[in-house]
Amino acid sequence: MNVFVKLAEGFTGIVSAGGENLMGLITGILPNLLILLTCINAIITLVGEDRVMNFSKKLTRFRLLRYTLLPVISLFFLTNPMCYTMGRFVEEDQKPAFIDACFSFAHPITGLFPHGNAGELFVWTGIAAGITKLGYSTMPLAVRYLLAGVIVIFIRGNATEFLTKKIMAKNKGGAAK
Amino acid sequence: MKPSVTITKGSSGWGGPLTVYETETRKVVASVTGGSIHPLAEKIASLLGVPVVDAFNNKVEPDTIIIAVVDCGGTLRCGVYPKMGVKTIDIHPISPSGPLSKYIKEDNFVSGTTLDCITQSGEAVPSEPEVSGQAVPEPAEIKESSPASGGNQFFNFITSMGRGIGSIVNVFYQAGRDTLDIVLKNILPFMIFVSIMVGIINYTGIGDLLANAIKPLAGSLPGLLGLSVFCAIPFLSPVLGPGAVIAQVVGVLLGVEIGKGTIPIAYSLPALFAINSQVGCDFVPVALTLAEAEDDTVSAGVPAMLFTRLVTGPAAVLVAYLLSFGLYS
Repeated sequence: MNVFVKLAEGFTGIVSAGGENLMGLITGILPNLLILLTCINAIITLVGEDRVMNFSKKLTRFRLLRYTLLPVISLFFLTNPMCYTMGRFVEEDQKPAFIDACFSFAHPITGLFPHGNAGELFVWTGIAAGITKLGYSTMPLAVRYLLAGVIVIFIRGNATEFLTKKIMAKNKGGAAK
Repeated sequence: MKPSVTITKGSSGWGGPLTVYETETRKVVASVTGGSIHPLAEKIASLLGVPVVDAFNNKVEPDTIIIAVVDCGGTLRCGVYPKMGVKTIDIHPISPSGPLSKYIKEDNFVSGTTLDCITQSGEAVPSEPEVSGQAVPEPAEIKESSPASGGNQFFNFITSMGRGIGSIVNVFYQAGRDTLDIVLKNILPFMIFVSIMVGIINYTGIGDLLANAIKPLAGSLPGLLGLSVFCAIPFLSPVLGPGAVIAQVVGVLLGVEIGKGTIPIAYSLPALFAINSQVGCDFVPVALTLAEAEDDTVSAGVPAMLFTRLVTGPAAVLVAYLLSFGLYS
């Protein structure tokens, strides 16, 4: 009998510990998230997809912007997963690199702008919860996450562009033989 | 042959495309936008060569309407006409909502439409010039009848101002609806899942075991670099990727340990990159399709991305490590 009581107690303990955590998430993060997502969704509608598309077409020519500003704009305005459609404006052999840059920015953007990838927040929110628990603001980490993200996507974009071109050249050589 | 018109959705709209034409019974375009006749309704009517009616001030039998133009923010009007079997254009970019949302379908409803979204379909070519010539006076006739409700400039100004405010309100209203949608479908379910996990970790002793396992990996730079290479191994990364579930779970675990002090707080930034070097690896072919890439590009791009991650994964951890100097100290 005692075993069952212990089991029941243990189970209720887990449930109430989980419930407490859920309450914290719902009262702590959710209200701000709702307001922020709504405001940014509205801004995106007001700015209009067409204008973003036109502006982005002009950015694709410059290597520096193609793997920094362009993925940032794509994720901010079109969000995951529609941001990848912006890839149709870049050259064919740069598309994988652009996609790589978008992927790699899909989480760094969530620190400051959760709407960019609202379905996958917990990479950021999970770690940020630890910072909050220690009594610090998560803002310094969010800003650095974004900055580091921009540097990382520039590195990844260039690396992937380089290797894509190599592989394409090799594939073509093989086909010619 | 009767002319027909194709109407597509606007950039953030929903539904459609609809193709409409005059039939035996359906002979008018209805504008239900309040104040005066909406330019959209006018354009469609002139392309079809039929009259346009201000259904806000005049009663129109639903059975006679070819298509109705409404400016509904997503509660009633957008659903009323589809329910009565009338094809509907909502000038606001809304998705099905409101009590009648179940009647709103892609084949009877299109939203967010602008003047550019309206095109005349091919079969009308021979009669087109004649039709548009005829049609122009017709909407004008109707318009003359509406000044009875006060068609002076002041009234027009009030109407257009009201419409402007209305459309901004509607943008925010729809944005709220979209937000709630993603919160209900994605964010809240994950919060519940995370809470169950945290409950188990915190209440049972598993937390301490995990801490011992994670500490050497996530608590030092070599450990984090190793973790990032592991996640980027080309045959593992596509398996670890989907929905970022693995990265999110590990993120929550590390968050718990950072909160306890097991992992130094300064390592939070490099850890964010170390647990996620597989990001997107499951999704490359789909994303490349969205980017309209050719087959050759896909077959070269997928391995290119998977293999560069072995180098750019740890590179990202290093960048983050360098950027974390002075963080929370």
